[in-house]
Amino acid sequence: MSPTTKITHAQNLPQPCPHLAEFRSRNGSKPFQVLQDCLRVKPPGGRASIRREPDEVPRCGACGESSRPRLYACVACAAVSCHAPPGPSHAAAHADSMSPGHEIAVDVDRAELFCCACRDQVYDRDFDAAVVLAQTTASTLGGKSSSLSSAIHCQQPENLRKRRRVDYRPWTPDLRERVLMGSCSSPLESSNSASDLPWGLRGLNNLGNTCFMNSVLQALLHTPPLRNYFLSDRHNRYFCQKRNGASSGTRKNVGNTDANGNKNARTCLACDMDAMFSAVFSGDRTPYSPAKFLYSWWQHAANLASYEQQDAHEFFISMLDGIHEKVEKDRRKPHSQGNGDCCIAHRVFSGILRSDVMCMACGFTSTTYDPCVDISLDLEPNQGGSTKVASTTKSSHSCIGETDSMNPRQSCGISTLMGCLDRFTRPERLGSDQKFFCQQCQMRQESLKQMSIRKLPLVSCFHIKRFEHSSVRKMSRKVDRYLQFPVSLDMAPYLSSSIIRSRFGNRILPFDGDGDEPDTSSNDLSSEFELFAVVTHAGKLDAGHYVTYLRLCNQWYKCDDAWITQVSENIVRAAQGYMMFYVQKMLYYKASENQVAG
Amino acid sequence: MLGYWLIESGEKERLMELLRERLIECGWRDEMKALCRSFTKKKGRENVTVDDLVQVITPKGRASVPDSVKAELLQRIRSFLASAAL
Repeated sequence: MSPTTKITHAQNLPQPCPHLAEFRSRNGSKPFQVLQDCLRVKPPGGRASIRREPDEVPRCGACGESSRPRLYACVACAAVSCHAPPGPSHAAAHADSMSPGHEIAVDVDRAELFCCACRDQVYDRDFDAAVVLAQTTASTLGGKSSSLSSAIHCQQPENLRKRRRVDYRPWTPDLRERVLMGSCSSPLESSNSASDLPWGLRGLNNLGNTCFMNSVLQALLHTPPLRNYFLSDRHNRYFCQKRNGASSGTRKNVGNTDANGNKNARTCLACDMDAMFSAVFSGDRTPYSPAKFLYSWWQHAANLASYEQQDAHEFFISMLDGIHEKVEKDRRKPHSQGNGDCCIAHRVFSGILRSDVMCMACGFTSTTYDPCVDISLDLEPNQGGSTKVASTTKSSHSCIGETDSMNPRQSCGISTLMGCLDRFTRPERLGSDQKFFCQQCQMRQESLKQMSIRKLPLVSCFHIKRFEHSSVRKMSRKVDRYLQFPVSLDMAPYLSSSIIRSRFGNRILPFDGDGDEPDTSSNDLSSEFELFAVVTHAGKLDAGHYVTYLRLCNQWYKCDDAWITQVSENIVRAAQGYMMFYVQKMLYYKASENQVAG
Repeated sequence: MLGYWLIESGEKERLMELLRERLIECGWRDEMKALCRSFTKKKGRENVTVDDLVQVITPKGRASVPDSVKAELLQRIRSFLASAAL
């Protein structure tokens, strides 16, 4: 593999049509400057429109109509005309009759340029810059116009520094290293040719309603960065225990309490994970009993310690927390701002969410950043109006099993993961009972909230909220609705840079995601993810069963407690996804994966 | 005449904002975006104009507006009529 080349974020700039080019060369950018005075930005949402007077009602000069969906103002002479294909287009007629020089017009309601001769949208850097400037002015404190990057640049998390990328270099052991390996380790037995199961596939015994734990453990055992961390001995359980023993003043294992009576002194979930990784990847295919791990976890999550069925997601969160807590005690590095430097759990799963709250009265926007280890998504029954649309395209028959890149977000009324992510990042109106204090208005106002992803984690865990517990109505229910999920997922549309960009509509933006959003501009590839594990739930809320599907070497394996079987992709796609684990594409090796020792 | 009143009073502007908000909330806009994307992918980016897209998605768009949204807009127009008649 060649050294990684710097991938510049190239927003494919549309080329001007000949008419626009001609217009620019003849008039420069003067006409666009005149338009600037007519730019009206309306909160909320900051849509830009063109009006000579604030209350002007634009009308077509030819037919007097003001109710047409698209009205265009000629940039050369300010004549307003309608454009309503396949009906008559007075805009095109105007361009024709006044030709040359009157082809370029601006949509009065959207402030977007249009070429009446080419009958298509055109883009101009200077014009878009003027519009964007007007829109950002509206969303900054005091309404003062400020430089664009500072308008977007608010409360950046302190430690979101650019990570310098190191060139990839392949490695093979030299002679000295070979000797070292030979003397300090023993080769694993190659698996017998009969079973062609990949390394690390091993059943987990159910210790009494522990499928919630087994399912999550299977996913974690095959989470590439986590697996690599433990298999490369980054957390050595022998050293860790020895260190614990020494610090508490005794080397004998006196139960799990140290001199201070601290129960958790001896238990280290990371050590138990280490032990489990060693056992699971040893080549032994007999089912493994994660009893020690269960016991350690009970120490950590005392309120969940019982033989009752628990929620797999709750276990997942609790487990990450347990690993972090133990490490934090050792190294005293808090989980702040999701930089993941505190422990391996956060290094792998932690990302940063951005929340923008915009005042509906004045447009002022307040931004906050919060770390997160997963994304919980609602699965509501009604997704869009698609239940009314009978899809007539080919995709209607192949919703299941169709290649993901071609799937529209919502087809045939089926809920999709991308549909859930769309809803997650959609602007949401906060009700009148949730009024937000606006710094500019200095009072509580109704507002619009929008979430986006500031920094993607190495591994994204999507949790589907299928279990609803209503303390008000004192009841719980499960949402069984099917959710379609892709095998390859591009998270780019949900990134903060994309969401912010989309607020300006169809524009050439002067800031191409530099400075403020370093992670997206430095490498586009880091927004592509591959699915590697799916935790599914079948059955009722209180009497159900968790099963995990793992994707190894492009094969799918069903992990049902102690039973591992190879299954087809269709089985997985049809299953009821509860937690989906995606890893950054660069960390997922599709082809190689031949983890044979020696 | 109603159309004239709707527009001159600024009510149409408000109704459009409301409609826009509802259509975004229920996912209709995302659906239209997806339709545009798949159409553009099929035809090739260089071979598609805004007019083409409008032509393609207008029938689908009109058909897929949720009934609840239609009902709400109609109700607003009715009350506007009632207040204008006074």
